[in-house]
Amino acid sequence: MSATGTCEYQPKDYKSDLKPIWCPGCGDFSVVQGIYRALAAVGRPPHEIAFVSGIGCSSRIPGYTTAYGFNSVHGRSLPIAQGIKLANPDLLVLAAGGDGDGFSIGGGHIAHLIRRNMDITYIVMDNQIYGLTKGQLSPTSQKGRVTCTSRFGSLEEPVNPLLYVLAYGAGFVAQASPTDLVGMAATIEEAIRYPGFAFVNIQSPCVTYGEEAQQIKGLKAISETLASLGHNPADRLAAMDLAQHYGEKLHLGVFYRNPEPPPTYGDLVKERQVLLSKDALPKERILDLFIKK
Amino acid sequence: MRKDLVFGMAGSGGDGIVSAGDSLLQAAAAEGYHGVMTKSFGSQIRGGESSCRVRISTEPILNPGGNLDVAVALNWEDFLKFGAELPVSGTTVVIYEAATGIPENQIPLVGVTPLQVIAVPIAAMAKETAGTERAKNTVVLGLIAGWFGIGAVAVMKGIRKKLAKKGEELVEANQRAFDAGRAFAMEHPLKASMNVVASETKGQVKLITDGNDMCAAAAIFAGCQFFGGYPITPSTEIMQFFTDHVWKYGGSVLQAEDEIAGIGAAVGASFAGKKSMTATSGPGLSLKSEMMGLASIAELPLVIVDVQRGGPSTGLPTKTEQSDLFAACFSAHGDVIRPVLAPTSVADMFRITIEAFNIAEHYQTPVIVLSDQEIAARKETLDPIDTTQFKIINRLVPAGADLQDYKRFKQTDNHISPISHPGMIGGTYLASGIEHVESGAPTNSGSVHARMNDKRTKKFEPLKDRKDLFEVTGNPNAPIAMVAWGSIAGVCREALAMAQAEGLDVKLLVPYLLYPVAEGVYNDFFASVQKGLVIEQTHLAQTFKLLRMHIDLPKGLKPLARSGANPFLPSEIVAALKTLVSELQRSHEGNLQPQE
Repeated sequence: MSATGTCEYQPKDYKSDLKPIWCPGCGDFSVVQGIYRALAAVGRPPHEIAFVSGIGCSSRIPGYTTAYGFNSVHGRSLPIAQGIKLANPDLLVLAAGGDGDGFSIGGGHIAHLIRRNMDITYIVMDNQIYGLTKGQLSPTSQKGRVTCTSRFGSLEEPVNPLLYVLAYGAGFVAQASPTDLVGMAATIEEAIRYPGFAFVNIQSPCVTYGEEAQQIKGLKAISETLASLGHNPADRLAAMDLAQHYGEKLHLGVFYRNPEPPPTYGDLVKERQVLLSKDALPKERILDLFIKK
Repeated sequence: MRKDLVFGMAGSGGDGIVSAGDSLLQAAAAEGYHGVMTKSFGSQIRGGESSCRVRISTEPILNPGGNLDVAVALNWEDFLKFGAELPVSGTTVVIYEAATGIPENQIPLVGVTPLQVIAVPIAAMAKETAGTERAKNTVVLGLIAGWFGIGAVAVMKGIRKKLAKKGEELVEANQRAFDAGRAFAMEHPLKASMNVVASETKGQVKLITDGNDMCAAAAIFAGCQFFGGYPITPSTEIMQFFTDHVWKYGGSVLQAEDEIAGIGAAVGASFAGKKSMTATSGPGLSLKSEMMGLASIAELPLVIVDVQRGGPSTGLPTKTEQSDLFAACFSAHGDVIRPVLAPTSVADMFRITIEAFNIAEHYQTPVIVLSDQEIAARKETLDPIDTTQFKIINRLVPAGADLQDYKRFKQTDNHISPISHPGMIGGTYLASGIEHVESGAPTNSGSVHARMNDKRTKKFEPLKDRKDLFEVTGNPNAPIAMVAWGSIAGVCREALAMAQAEGLDVKLLVPYLLYPVAEGVYNDFFASVQKGLVIEQTHLAQTFKLLRMHIDLPKGLKPLARSGANPFLPSEIVAALKTLVSELQRSHEGNLQPQE
């Protein structure tokens, strides 16, 4: 929104010329639409947005936007996003990827981003399968699931992405579904507007390797908006309670939103920079630090 | 009178050995001498053994020196653990703690008869004068001041300053301990005078620092505004310096959760338009290799400092080696060239780090600064550096016409494309590790991949013509040659001077740019060479093999390589050169025989 209250940007302004490589019917088509809408609603011009991803089907997504994109290496979108944010705190920084990228190979990074509370929005397209490598077990696959790397059924409990980030203290945790494009766009917009780390888990069906229960029809059957349940997003314990139903229920909306967002890492960095700037020797005299008087 | 003295001291953790070395170095600097100090520890955190070596000279110092002139052993068990670092010879004066109860003619140096051996009741003197054995190191400094004429005034001045906060009582106690040491020295004169010639530059300002701090300071000077890293010996002090200083310049530092996140954040910061850096040691370099490949294909400037220690794996974390050369040049998959630079001293570190940023920015590439534990941790006295002589290069940013239909990876004559960054209107593009066309859009076209590989490797051609990244000393037409880099280069510079003084016709090539291999520079250098040595601290002779991979080396060129913590001694290199000379003479004589 501009100062006068009119929308300066339309969703199409964020759509690039690249044609997605996703399979027809993939949930990610809907996710990218939701992202266009959310970005238009927030109204930051594309050149002020840095959109980072790792590797996988969903990680192609920055290329389908007109923002500055970075399709990096598997599992490492979050460190790169943090470097971008620290280098230029004025940017709107988004990170996106799949459940494997975020919770298997990159699973070690999310806890630390949450600890640092950088103002970054992280969108995970969770399809509970590895699609790009043709259907292997993912960290969010249900126990017992048969895939080409678990022909006799998976022996592992799935990661619960919602509980995972709530437990580490994320300030904003939400879930969305392509079955509800309007709600998804609104949720992503709210996540972007949250001043601090925000996480949105999106159940994004894999039409090629996904199970029937995870297709649009199946998702609709288990969907329930948190608003309809009367959930108070300021209640973190209630959010954790509801998050336990990951995998059986598809709760949509904001699980938790810290009502009093603490200062972000960026705020603290700026504070320190200002505080210490007065002690700066001119750069050409920096070696004076090594004079022993 | 001497122009140069090498002290080696060892004791248990808590004996204050390193602190004494520090005091001695600072006093020497205050008195106008050049100095170098290296330290060595066991790998435990507290306690255990620690040692330091301090070399003081009226001339600039090229390396920490060979055999000790003066050895100080607070206890023999600890001293002997540093056999290789603290070699005692027939010209060494050995001072040791009398309380060890070992008679002077039975000190446990097998097969070595030092010039002189003196047992001193160091602990007892400390206890008597300062009331605590903790002042043993001050007694030692007093002994050194008395016997070798270094630091009589400056040492106590430094100690006073250091202890001022802790109260006058402690300062006075240390003064008494120092005076007692000095008095003991006066009462027990050495057989031969080992006083150091007074320096002519007394009172002139000198800097004292080590390679790691110098590296970080140079990075900030070069405009680095972001550091992402993870603690690892012996590189950690680089990150520590950043955490102390980079904020003042509007930059920031991230102590990441792992090595990969550390370099990842640095890659991100570079993408965002800022000069950025990471630092690590061998095991961390292995972890960072995928990100280095990413930065290469995304053509992002980035400086990676690898402070080498002994490898592979955890190897020798506290000891120096040059064995990360292959990893620096070749780690990460695919066809890629990543410039690798190496400083040879603490002073060099300033120039080389700035150069690394300049090359990274100009060529849009990750650059490795291949430091080593010795340079990183050794303290040197330096004359002030005129920082205004250094040129700072920034990346080529698109402007005007470039931003109409901007193509991030545009093919240009010199293969370098203007690089935009988030925030820049008209410059949006997709950076990626996946192969891309000129716009940045992903492709799996083999022909585009071949073209892009060409762009990414050909852009480095001009770098190989940078003669200023190589140093040739000695007779340029000499038939005998040495090649050495990193901390070993300093040893070879000294060996060259010794060899020349003995009439050997030798030259030395010190490359600061290790990779890409500058074929032309080496071919020119080797043109006159019939015999030579590539001297390096590796087991596999990595440098020799890297050169042989690119260049037709003279038949008489051989590696002089060994791994481990044992530094080469200049005398040892001179001996090897002499062997080459006599081999050469024999073969010439052979050639003069009538052919049958």
